[in-house]
Amino acid sequence: MKPKNGLSHLLVNAFADLKRNKVRTFLTSLGIMIGVFSVVILIALGLGLKNYIQNQFESLGANLIMILPGNVFKGEGGVGGGLGPGFSGGADFKEKDINDLKKIPEANYVVPMFFKSAAIEVKGNSRYGYLMGVNEDYFPVMNLTAAAGHFFGLSEVNRRAKVVVLGYTLADQLFDRPTDAINQTIIVSKERFRVIGVAEKKGDNEQDTAAIVPYKTTYGSLNPNKTFFTIYLGVNDDKNVEKAKEKAKATLLKNWEEDDFSVTEQTEILSTVNQIFDIINLILVAIGSISLIVGGIGIMNIMYASVTERTKEVGIRRAMGATERDILNQFLTESVVLSLMGGFLGLLLAALAVLATRPFFPVSLNLLAVVISLTVSSAIGIGFGVFPARRAAKLSPIEAIRYE
Amino acid sequence: MIELHHVSKTYYLGDTRVKAVDDISLTIKDKELVGILGASGSGKSTLMYLIGLVETPTHGQILLDGADVSRLDDRQLSTIRNQTVGFVFQQFNLLNKFTVLENVLLPLKYCKAKIDFNPKARAEELLTKFGIYERRHFFPNKISGGQQQRVAIARALLLNPKIILADEPTGNIDTKTGKDILKLLQQLNREFNTTVIIVTHDPTVAQITKRQIYIKDGRMVKHL
Repeated sequence: MKPKNGLSHLLVNAFADLKRNKVRTFLTSLGIMIGVFSVVILIALGLGLKNYIQNQFESLGANLIMILPGNVFKGEGGVGGGLGPGFSGGADFKEKDINDLKKIPEANYVVPMFFKSAAIEVKGNSRYGYLMGVNEDYFPVMNLTAAAGHFFGLSEVNRRAKVVVLGYTLADQLFDRPTDAINQTIIVSKERFRVIGVAEKKGDNEQDTAAIVPYKTTYGSLNPNKTFFTIYLGVNDDKNVEKAKEKAKATLLKNWEEDDFSVTEQTEILSTVNQIFDIINLILVAIGSISLIVGGIGIMNIMYASVTERTKEVGIRRAMGATERDILNQFLTESVVLSLMGGFLGLLLAALAVLATRPFFPVSLNLLAVVISLTVSSAIGIGFGVFPARRAAKLSPIEAIRYE
Repeated sequence: MIELHHVSKTYYLGDTRVKAVDDISLTIKDKELVGILGASGSGKSTLMYLIGLVETPTHGQILLDGADVSRLDDRQLSTIRNQTVGFVFQQFNLLNKFTVLENVLLPLKYCKAKIDFNPKARAEELLTKFGIYERRHFFPNKISGGQQQRVAIARALLLNPKIILADEPTGNIDTKTGKDILKLLQQLNREFNTTVIIVTHDPTVAQITKRQIYIKDGRMVKHL
């Protein structure tokens, strides 16, 4: 009969030892637990944010070209730099730009966009939302459909009609039922608008909380300079997107300097945003990893103490025929068990936190984070456990037996 | 058969060179019952650990059944310790986190060879023989010193070693129980044909042995 030893004995032994000192075991695992928790939760938040932004972009229509003030892709004043487009100068687009861009044959739609965050009131009930001044092309470009009522057309734009289309969320917040909004009056910056339509929910916060009015209607007190923040171009075919971009650029260069504006499409912005978030995620993971390392040092510390405490045991086991490797494995198993226990607890906690956060924010627990955190915690168990374990293995058996 | 040829063991205590065992040659035949006697600090324990292959000699040769074992590596030495030698200590040296039965089975955990008996049955048989079977599920700190020493002897015997090395086996128990333990060791020597080496400072303990080796300052001073 072959005596059974190896892993099962090591594990039984490790659990027996860890159980003897429950408080210490728990406190030691706590370090790893917090480390794994923070890494997993930070990855979850980072990815959640990235997905959220991605969805926002994807909810915009296809074949869409955006013209933004400032140079988005060159350092300052862009998405990649400080405050984002528009905050550090660049073009204030005018009606002339719109009319010039309309001459591009590939552009089916040209949408000027005036944009302002504002308090939106109904009978004393006030909500913060966005006021958008656009033309009738906005609705097809954004693939919007009406949940109630209808959208405004060219005539309302030209008449400077005081009408408004509400985003679904905003309508829901202001009225008992979103459909109740039709024909009601809302007040934005002391100007009164009649609600003629409510847009279907889009999942895009800006759109869903917007009050959309004809852009010419804003030409009073709301937008005295008659400028636009962004221009959208809807291109007739995705093969023509590049061509249309070139033409739009050439058109605007007649009115503006090269660095005053950026012509871009959403995939381009998306890849920039993705790059930024990849870096942010990396930084978050690095920060989280610090607590993992601290947890690892905690394990090392305790294992050193444990080796000293159990010097005599090591001596006894050596006398019974344990090799240096047997002793090394014994202590290593213990630190790995300790560390993995912390890892599992941290993961569990992170899963609970993710479940709790889900209703408010699109966090996601990804498999990679789980695999990595468990791999890392066992690696920490080995990495930080190996020095104490080696010390135990290298103890002189005779001195260890005599140790009191 | 155990043979020591001019065996010395030197170690350092800080900067001081201590010759714990100094040029000792002796032979212990199979099935012998031998006492190694000496005062505290005489080097008798070091000698015992050398014979038990816990220590390796600085100089000289140790032969076990004719084979030189003084220059083996850790793995080989551990295997011999596991299967050929059984230790009995003054402090019993049981692991308090394991039950009596688990303690007796401990050497099995490090046994890499095939064994032709059921270890659990053997452990229980030994415990029965030593009158502590009823206590097999107790933890060592819940039984008396004499009982603990019996457990330790059962543990030493589990894998049928050829040699039992007992270091002051009666040092921590009362005289009457001590006598019982010595009787037990005598009995092992007779019934199991085990070589028993008792290391002690106490000449009365050594009386049960058939041969006594006296150690002083690391050297063999008398051999009866």
